[in-house]
Amino acid sequence: MRRWRSLWPWGVLSALSLALLVLFVAYPMSVLTLNSLHDAQGRLSLAGFATVFGESQYLQAIGNTLLLGVTVTLSAMAVGVPLAYVIARFDFPLKSLVAILPVVTIIIPEVIVGQSWLMMLGNNGLISNFLRELGLPVPSFYGWSGMIFSMTLIYYTYIYLGTLAALRGFDGQLEEASLSLGASPLATRLRVLLPTVAPAILVNALVVFTLVVGNFALSSMLGGQIPLLSVMTYSLFVSEMGSSPMLQSSLSVVLVLIVALVLFVQKRVVERRMVQMVQGRAPAPRQVQNWQGKLLALAAVLLVTLSLVPLVAVVVGAFTRARGPVMHWGEWSTQSMERAFSLAPEPIFNSMLFAGVATLLGTSLALLVSYLVVKKKSGLSALLDYAVVLPLTISGTVLGIALVQSFNTAPLILTGTSAIMIIVYVVRRMPFGVRNASSVLYNLPNSVEEASISLGVSPLMSFFKVVLPVMKTSMLSAAILMWATSISELSASVVVYSGGLETLPISIFRLVDTGRLGLASAYGTVLVTLILVPVALAARFLKVNLFSGK
Amino acid sequence: MSTITIENLSKHFEQHPVLQDLNLTIPDGSFFTLLGPSGCGKTTLLRCIAGFNEPDCGRILFDQDDITHVPAHQRNIGMVFQDYALFPDKSVHDNVAYGLRARKVAPDEVRVRTAEALALVDLTSFASRLPAQLSGGQRQRVALARALVIKPRVLLMDEPLSNLDAKLRLSMRDMIRDLQRQARITTVFVTHDQEEALALSDQVAVMQSGGIAQMGAPDSLYALPETAYVADFVGSANLLEVEFMGPGQVTLAGQTLQVDTAAARSGERNQLVLRAETLELLPEDEPGPSNCLRVTLAGRQYLGARTLLRVALAGGLTLQVDAPGLQRYQTGQALCLRVPPSSRVICR
Repeated sequence: MRRWRSLWPWGVLSALSLALLVLFVAYPMSVLTLNSLHDAQGRLSLAGFATVFGESQYLQAIGNTLLLGVTVTLSAMAVGVPLAYVIARFDFPLKSLVAILPVVTIIIPEVIVGQSWLMMLGNNGLISNFLRELGLPVPSFYGWSGMIFSMTLIYYTYIYLGTLAALRGFDGQLEEASLSLGASPLATRLRVLLPTVAPAILVNALVVFTLVVGNFALSSMLGGQIPLLSVMTYSLFVSEMGSSPMLQSSLSVVLVLIVALVLFVQKRVVERRMVQMVQGRAPAPRQVQNWQGKLLALAAVLLVTLSLVPLVAVVVGAFTRARGPVMHWGEWSTQSMERAFSLAPEPIFNSMLFAGVATLLGTSLALLVSYLVVKKKSGLSALLDYAVVLPLTISGTVLGIALVQSFNTAPLILTGTSAIMIIVYVVRRMPFGVRNASSVLYNLPNSVEEASISLGVSPLMSFFKVVLPVMKTSMLSAAILMWATSISELSASVVVYSGGLETLPISIFRLVDTGRLGLASAYGTVLVTLILVPVALAARFLKVNLFSGK
Repeated sequence: MSTITIENLSKHFEQHPVLQDLNLTIPDGSFFTLLGPSGCGKTTLLRCIAGFNEPDCGRILFDQDDITHVPAHQRNIGMVFQDYALFPDKSVHDNVAYGLRARKVAPDEVRVRTAEALALVDLTSFASRLPAQLSGGQRQRVALARALVIKPRVLLMDEPLSNLDAKLRLSMRDMIRDLQRQARITTVFVTHDQEEALALSDQVAVMQSGGIAQMGAPDSLYALPETAYVADFVGSANLLEVEFMGPGQVTLAGQTLQVDTAAARSGERNQLVLRAETLELLPEDEPGPSNCLRVTLAGRQYLGARTLLRVALAGGLTLQVDAPGLQRYQTGQALCLRVPPSSRVICR
């Protein structure tokens, strides 16, 4: 009796949360793994992996994916680190704007970025056509150049934010100590500043690598003929529909293993080298004076502007007269917007419904899980702590495939229902939501809850009366981020959706594929509005700093 | 208001025993302090009484009620935490009213009692502030008012003064003592500061590795420590190994002294407890000093109201002497150290 009472409520809630994560993450992943090891007749077989590691097209895909990951990571570092240094150490006009705008690139849906760059630099793009009229040679944007260019302009933000935080936490006295000991300014930067900031750069570089490896939208829209793992897995999924899913499963497992390996290295090797500054008092930024400084500042402004071009392009595109893939730039029209709202508004409703429900469920579940992990330590909650980061290793495409394989037969048939769309959104965002909530909970001393209990309020009610109010603002910002990322989700939802469940990103993806850029731009504009309006409102009226915890 | 009785209480954390078969009675209405260094189990014991730690075995009673397995929120306790633990999003008034509202007290009465409690701790004009807008001392007073306003059976305080600066600590001591006297509420106070314990308490229990080393009124603990541990922890003491020669007589560094040997045992390790402020230094050539040790002055710290002196015995032992005012002896000077015959020898 006493044992049972001690399990309520936290033990029961831990078990329930764990059950949910097992059902929608661990179980699908094991189904996927089993499928990769069984052939069409249901016999245990390594034929799938033999094909993946034996046929040149798959080996090429693996090689290309790794190459793309390394290249984009390096170029994102080349852009993000100097930008962070300039922002941390110099003052120049527009600096506060330049410092904050890169975060917008994280919340612009990738499908819109891909579409916009196609409209600018693609075969029939605005800039390509302009160059062609000037008689200049126009290199093809499809393939390596397009992917590296567009991905760099999104993913540099992760490295920029991580490096900036490290630079701002850096104790300026260390530099002064180095200078006082006779080291030159350059030597000081290399021997004192760099080693303390390097782990922060590397941690975020590895995150970027995993994002590139799992990237679906840009790889498939701009990749051209280059075989890549995520795109190939998706096409196998489409072509193996109804037959044995061995090959798609094998490729998926390879993808998961690559990402898991990188994250393991990040956790075990790099994060341990993170330097904790005792009293971080970063040196004050100084006004740029010489021409080199001005050039750097100008480069920073240009870079950030460039990364925001997709946002402008999609809105302009939505109000431009379009005929299939041909955009009549300069000729304004509301025709595409009207079509989006009057003839085909379902994707708008679907997106808002799925993302809305997912935000509500996901934010609550993330809060519950982080509360259990941080405040109610037990064997179960330790398991939860592991289970909740599992989705980080699973790219969207793989998650979608695993869910379809697991839930398209009895007893639990979810394929083709709205539920599976919502599950996809919640699962993909879970690690981030939990991390956000945990950082707030770690700062809330246990004694605050104990004070409430000692005053006569039960533990469960104390959570609602004391913990929840403290978390209000951070929960709101978590909810807005959850909304923004869910409503942009493509790679997993494009796998699990079926007729009638199209969301905005799925519709845009398909419209771009069939060359209907006008309507795609209109949907894109609606999508961007749905994302940016809540973000702006929260920042303006609630003073919510959405990206403090990233 | 209750008598707290603790019977055979034990508590382990993982393999590590924190409380071992502990028995204790805290009289109704008394101010009782658990004193000890960190890791001695004092906070664990307090949290067992509060209901935040469940003991492995043993019982806790408030008067005749066995509350060992009553959940914390049903024990009717008031608790003051080391870090104040104010609800950061609630005003001072709402913090204090919180426990009353949880008890479904009528709104009018909540208002009256909250106002009274705030007046008691001198915070009436701060009622609408948020905790972040208060100083450390003010926060601690809110925490005190919040714990007292619910008229708890017992008041539990976990090192409530350790985050305050020295001056504030003194005035908070007075306030805590006055409020406790007025309310006549059984209070358990945890601290590692022996001065605080002596100043506040009716009874002090000195804790040592999960058990009680000695319990008693502050003056008796100070004057009659039973073990070296207690002598050293309650007011610092010079502890010197002596040879027990017979009733009332010991030798130290070859010199004979008359002291209280009631607790000494021959054939065992006997230690003489010399409180620094009971020792007197005299010039060596003073005629006929009784019960004296020959020492040389090794060092001196002048502190204004008093002087701390370090003296060396033949054989290298050193002692602390706490003398009033300015002592003009020179370092290296040979002196006479008078030991009061009431000094105790202990053998544990």
